Amino acid sequence: MAGIYSEKVLDHFRNPRNVGELEDAEDVGIGKVGNPVCLIPETLIHMNSHLNRIEIASTKDRVLTHNGMYHKVIHRTEREYDGDILILKNKFGKVTVTPDHMVLAIKLPKGDKFLRTKHRKELLSAWYHVEDLRKGDIVLYPILKETKDMEFIDIEIRKSKWDFRSKPIPKKIPVSDNFLRLCGYFISEGHPREEPSKTYIEFSLNIKERGIEEDIRRITKNLFNIDIKISEKPKKKTRQVFIYNAVLTRFFKKLFGNYGYTRKLPHFMMLLPPSKQRALLYGLWKGDGYINIERKGARAGYSTTSFELAQQIKMLLLRQGIVASMYTDKAYIKNGVRHRQSYRLHIGQRDSLKKLCNVMGLTYNPKSHASRDSWFDNDYVHIPITGIQRKKYSGNVYNLEVNKDHSFTTEAFCLHNCGDLMWVFIKVDSETDTITDIKFKTFGCGSAIATSSMTTEMAEGMTLDEAMKITRDDVATELDGLPPRKMHCSNLAADALHAAIEDYRAKKEGRPRPEPIDDEGHHSCGV
Amino acid sequence: MEMSADDTRVYMDYTASSPVDPRVVEAMMPFFTRKFGNPASFHSFGAEVREPMEEARNKIGQLIGAEDPKREIIFTSGATESSNIAIKGTAYRARGKNHIITTAVEHMSVINITKALMKEGFEVTVIPVDEYAMVDPSAISDAITEKTFLVSLMYANGEVGSIQPIKEIGQITRENKIYLHTDGVAAVGKIPVNVLEDNIDLLSFSSNDIYGPKGTGALYIRKGVSIQGVLQGGGQERGIRSGTEDIPSIVGFGKAVELIQEEMTQENKRIERIRDKMISGILDHIPESYLNGHPTKRLPNNVHVRFSYIEGESLILDLDEKGIACSSGSACAAKTLEPSHVLRACGLPHELVHGSILFTMGRWTKEDDGDRVIEALPPIVKRLRKLSPLTPMELKEA
Repeated sequence: MAGIYSEKVLDHFRNPRNVGELEDAEDVGIGKVGNPVCLIPETLIHMNSHLNRIEIASTKDRVLTHNGMYHKVIHRTEREYDGDILILKNKFGKVTVTPDHMVLAIKLPKGDKFLRTKHRKELLSAWYHVEDLRKGDIVLYPILKETKDMEFIDIEIRKSKWDFRSKPIPKKIPVSDNFLRLCGYFISEGHPREEPSKTYIEFSLNIKERGIEEDIRRITKNLFNIDIKISEKPKKKTRQVFIYNAVLTRFFKKLFGNYGYTRKLPHFMMLLPPSKQRALLYGLWKGDGYINIERKGARAGYSTTSFELAQQIKMLLLRQGIVASMYTDKAYIKNGVRHRQSYRLHIGQRDSLKKLCNVMGLTYNPKSHASRDSWFDNDYVHIPITGIQRKKYSGNVYNLEVNKDHSFTTEAFCLHNCGDLMWVFIKVDSETDTITDIKFKTFGCGSAIATSSMTTEMAEGMTLDEAMKITRDDVATELDGLPPRKMHCSNLAADALHAAIEDYRAKKEGRPRPEPIDDEGHHSCGV
Repeated sequence: MEMSADDTRVYMDYTASSPVDPRVVEAMMPFFTRKFGNPASFHSFGAEVREPMEEARNKIGQLIGAEDPKREIIFTSGATESSNIAIKGTAYRARGKNHIITTAVEHMSVINITKALMKEGFEVTVIPVDEYAMVDPSAISDAITEKTFLVSLMYANGEVGSIQPIKEIGQITRENKIYLHTDGVAAVGKIPVNVLEDNIDLLSFSSNDIYGPKGTGALYIRKGVSIQGVLQGGGQERGIRSGTEDIPSIVGFGKAVELIQEEMTQENKRIERIRDKMISGILDHIPESYLNGHPTKRLPNNVHVRFSYIEGESLILDLDEKGIACSSGSACAAKTLEPSHVLRACGLPHELVHGSILFTMGRWTKEDDGDRVIEALPPIVKRLRKLSPLTPMELKEA
C-alpha cells in the first residue's frame, strides 16, 4: 500500500507542513481549486423540470442530479477564465466545459473489441475529467426518477364576469389517461384562441386524422360534458375542431403555454408515474409525431418549435426506456411561409422503436437487429461521445454547487464538481513581493496531501513571479515522483497556489476578486 | 501466526490473505517427502495417500453437512475453479435452458464467469441489492423464467460482511427445480453452513480462507446434479476435475477443517466480541462515522466503516504507520481507480464510497488488537479532518 509512494511523499503526508488557514487581509491571497467554476454561459441546465441558463440559476432552483432527483442549488459561482475549453458532443447535444471538469462516464480501453459488444454493459462507470475522455467513450445520462402521482387537478380558473356563454365545467378533474391524451393532442395540435368575446381551443387536424377527432370528442364530452364543433377546409385538407369554453381554454393555456414555440409541460406532469405518462406520449405522438416502420430504416420522430418541449419529451422517453437523438432543423421559408427553427427527436434504434410502438399500440417486429450504440440500466441511459473539440476561450465561466449529490445535468451530459479539493492561503510582503507565510487545506488521498504540503514548502520565501512558475510536474519531481494515476487527479496544489497569487494581485490592483467557492462542497478523489 | 515477538503490528486484513495454521503445516509435512504416492496407484504407496485424502474429503463434507461426502465433494485448485465448474458445468448440461440469475454483489470470479457465458448466448439476470448488500428472495423468485436453470449467489459478502437469506432462496430454487450455486468463500468456516438445511446444490469454497494452504479448494455437488467437467484429462475426481490430486494441500485442507470444527464456536464468540467492541468503539467515538453492511446479519469477523469528509487511502496510510493493516474498498487505494462494485450496488454515492475502510479479523486477532484500532482511529480521523476543507467548523473544534 505505502509501497506505491516515495519516502518523500509519505513524509509530507505524515508530517504535512503549513496546514491551516490565513484570515483574509490586505496582504493575503486565497486560492481554492478542485471545484473550479467551469461552464460557459448559456449552458442549459435541467432546473425545476425546465431548461434554464446556468448563469441565472439561484438557490431557489432545484436541478436534476446524477441520481435522477431534483436537488437544491446551494451556490452558484462565477469567475473569469482564459484558457482551453473542451466541447463534448453526443446524440443529445453538446456541452462546453473546462478540461478538468468531471463527467459521469465509462472509459473504453483502447482496441478492446470485447467492449464493443453488449458486454461493455458490465463496465463500471465513474467520474472522469473530460480531458481524459475520447470519442467513443460512453457517458451516462440520468433518467428522471422522482415520481409523484397526482390523481386530480384543480382547475383554478375563474369564469370571467361577462362570460355568459361558457358552460360550467368541473372544478376538479382526474389526471387520467384520457386527460393526459387530450393534453398530448393539445400540445401538438391545439391553439388557445382569445378573441373579443370568443375564447376557445382550436385543433387543426389533417383530414385523415379522424381518429384523433373522435378521441377529442369523446374525452371532452366525458371529462367536461362539452360537445366539440367541427369545420372542414377541404382545400387545405384540414378539419378544425373547436372546444368553446373560456375556462378550459385558459386552463390549457396556463398549463402548456400559448404558442408553439413556448410550449412546455408543467413540472407535475414530468413527475407523474411513467406508466401514466404513456398516455401523454401517445397524445403527443399522434399529433406531431411520426412513426414509419414500413420503410427499410424504420424510424420515428417528433418535431416541435419549442426547445424546452423537445427536451422534456426526451426525458419522458428516457423514463420509458426509449432513447432519441436530438436534432435542430434550421428555420426556412416555404411557399412564402416562414417556418421557425424546430427541434426534432429521432428514434431509430430498434429496441427504442419497439417500446415506442408499444406505447402507441402498434406491433413492430424488426427482422434484423440493427446495431445499438445506447443502452439502459435502472438509473441511466448510456450513450457514446460522438465528438470532442478543443478551443480557446476567454470570458466568464460558471459552476453550481448542488445539495447532496453535487452534480447537475445539462441538455446532454451529467456533470460533477468532484475532485480533490485544495485551498492555499499566502501572505505577501508588498515591498519585496515575496511569500512570507503560506498555509493549505486539502481533501484527498495521500498524494493530494503530500503535493499540497510540498507546494507550500517550495513556495515559501519565493517572489510571486517565481512562485507562478512552479508547475505540477515540478512538485511531483520534488517529491521523487508520483504514481502515474495520481499525477493528474491529486496534483492540483500548484494550481491552487497560482490562484492564490492571482487573488492577491487582483486585490492589490483593485480588480474584482474571483468569487470564492462554497465550502459546503463534498468531493472525492481519484475517480 | 508466528510473528516475531517484537513485531507489534496488528493485522486486520484476513480477507486479503490469512496465514496457514502451524498445525496444518505440521500435518502436511509427511506428504511432501515420505508419503508421496499417487492415490490412483494400486500399490501400498498409493493406498498410503488414498486414505488420508478420503479422510479429508469426509471431514470437509461433514463441515458443510453433505450427505455423502465421498460422492459429493470434489477437490479443486480453489473457489474460482469451483465456481467455474459449478456454473459452466451446469450450463453446458442445461438442456434447452439458458438463463442464470445472479446478484450485483458477487465476487469478480462469478461476475466474470457469467459474463463469459453471456458471450456464448446465455442470458443473465443480475438482481440488485438493498443498502446492506442484501438480496430480497422475492426478487429472485420474480426473476425466474421457464428458461432458468441456475441461481448463483454468495452465502455472505466478504467485503461488507452481510449474510444472505440463503435458506429462503434455497426453498425458492428447490420449488422451481432450479440449481442453487453458492459462493461460500466468505462463509464456510466462519459461520455454520449446512447444504441440506439451506437447499444448496453447489457450494464453492476454499482452503486458504480457513487457515489452510493456498491453491486448494472444494466444490460440493449434490447427488443428482447434472454437471459436465471443464477440464479433460485422466478422469480423477469422478471425471469432473481431472488432474493428479495435490495430496499435501488436500491433507492440509482437511486438517484446517478439523480445527474449524473443534474451534469455530469458541473462536466466533471471541471474534464477535472484538467485532462488536470495535464497531461500537468506532461509531461512538468518531462523529459522522457509519457502518457499511448489515448491522446484525453479519460475518463475525467483519468491520466495514465509513467516515465523512476524508478519504480512505489517507486513512490506510496513517493506520499503516501505526502498524495497523486494513483494507480499502475505495478507489484511490485499489490498483484500478474503480470504486468498489459492492458499495456502489448498495447505492452509496461515489464520494461516500471513498471514505470507507475494512477490517477483517481472524484466528490470531487478539482482544487488544481491536482496542488498538479503537484507540488509533480517532486521532487519525481528526488529523485528516483537520486537513480537509470539507470538515464543518463544529467538527473541527470538537
